[in-house]
Amino acid sequence: MGIDQDIKDSSLVLLKQGAEARVFESNFVGRKSIVKERFSKKYRHPLLDSKLTLKRLNAEARCMTKARRLGVSTPVLYAVDPVLHTLTFEYVEGPAVKDIFLDFGLHSVIEERMEDIATQIGDAIGKLHDGGLIHGDLTTSNMLIRSGTNQLVLIDFGLSFTSTLPEDKAVDLYVLERALFSMHSLCGNVMDRILAAYRKSSKQWSSTLNKLAQVRQRGRKRTMVG
Amino acid sequence: MKSFKVDGSTLSLALFTDVTNSKELLNSMQAGTLEPEVAFLNASLIPDIFPVLAAAYKTLLAKSRETLTTRTLHSELVYSYSGSKHITESLKRCGISENSTYILAALFDASDDEMKAVEKLINGKEIDLEELEGRADQAQIQKHYKITGLELGISSLADAITCRIASRDAL
Repeated sequence: MGIDQDIKDSSLVLLKQGAEARVFESNFVGRKSIVKERFSKKYRHPLLDSKLTLKRLNAEARCMTKARRLGVSTPVLYAVDPVLHTLTFEYVEGPAVKDIFLDFGLHSVIEERMEDIATQIGDAIGKLHDGGLIHGDLTTSNMLIRSGTNQLVLIDFGLSFTSTLPEDKAVDLYVLERALFSMHSLCGNVMDRILAAYRKSSKQWSSTLNKLAQVRQRGRKRTMVG
Repeated sequence: MKSFKVDGSTLSLALFTDVTNSKELLNSMQAGTLEPEVAFLNASLIPDIFPVLAAAYKTLLAKSRETLTTRTLHSELVYSYSGSKHITESLKRCGISENSTYILAALFDASDDEMKAVEKLINGKEIDLEELEGRADQAQIQKHYKITGLELGISSLADAITCRIASRDAL
């Protein structure tokens, strides 16, 4: 008998604010957690605003849990609140891949670690794409490396959607390629390693990579002429 | 019985094995004469208390907004834990049946007297909550929550259940 857990308090501490949401640190029934709140946009019609916010909130919860079902690690979802427009999920301890790569650029690349991370990234994206899930915002700041296990954890499924089109998969990869190029050119060609792992992981790699070659020629947006 | 803080309330849990009177418990529960009101969960589907606490959180939130789907707070806990939208099926699978012998009793905001009353209500041997993991029926859990081996490669059973409880209404 007696209260078992010592919950400091479930107060919210603001970590980050973006254009779509605020991210807080909190405590969920005894575990450290992250609360992501999609706030309302005052410039939108209230009805449209609440519909869009709710739709995106639910889509994010769905995609996050779908990724796990496909064997890609994402934070454990703890709760969805459709009234406050919040998602509560696991606080993952560990650095972002962005910081690891920036550090590699500053000092020197640890080959073994680089290979491990790039392989995990390619493998994870291959699994998502084969399952028909497009992440939508693949940047190195949306990838964490869990302390202790060095397991890759993908975060921020706010722009995710389901699609089986090679076009969508290729654009997903292209976004990552551009992000790597602009942030981490000092690390050498990480994308080639990622794509090598992607090829092994995805059964449909060939049509996606063919498409990627086309996307590289024209950029992320399709030309809508003719 | 052990109590846990959930969002300003407490949830008290007690685990029983070799229960002999589940038929009576079920009958009085369905008649609404159970005193105090308590939730009985099929403990074979529970590998850890965390998903139960997540379900309790969801239940309390629904209660505070008066959006309970089922008749009582305690039946809502069973329904929330199931991760499914099918109420009858949820209560059948995640609640107790006439021949259940392994039961987790759960009680919101219980007084000491109520906890004692619940312990008296159940004819069985109370065991430590630590035993949940070893006694859980993994095959049954995987089937009920549709958890594949692929997912278990990156997730514990308890975390997979928690995700399903949390995301049910988003699907």
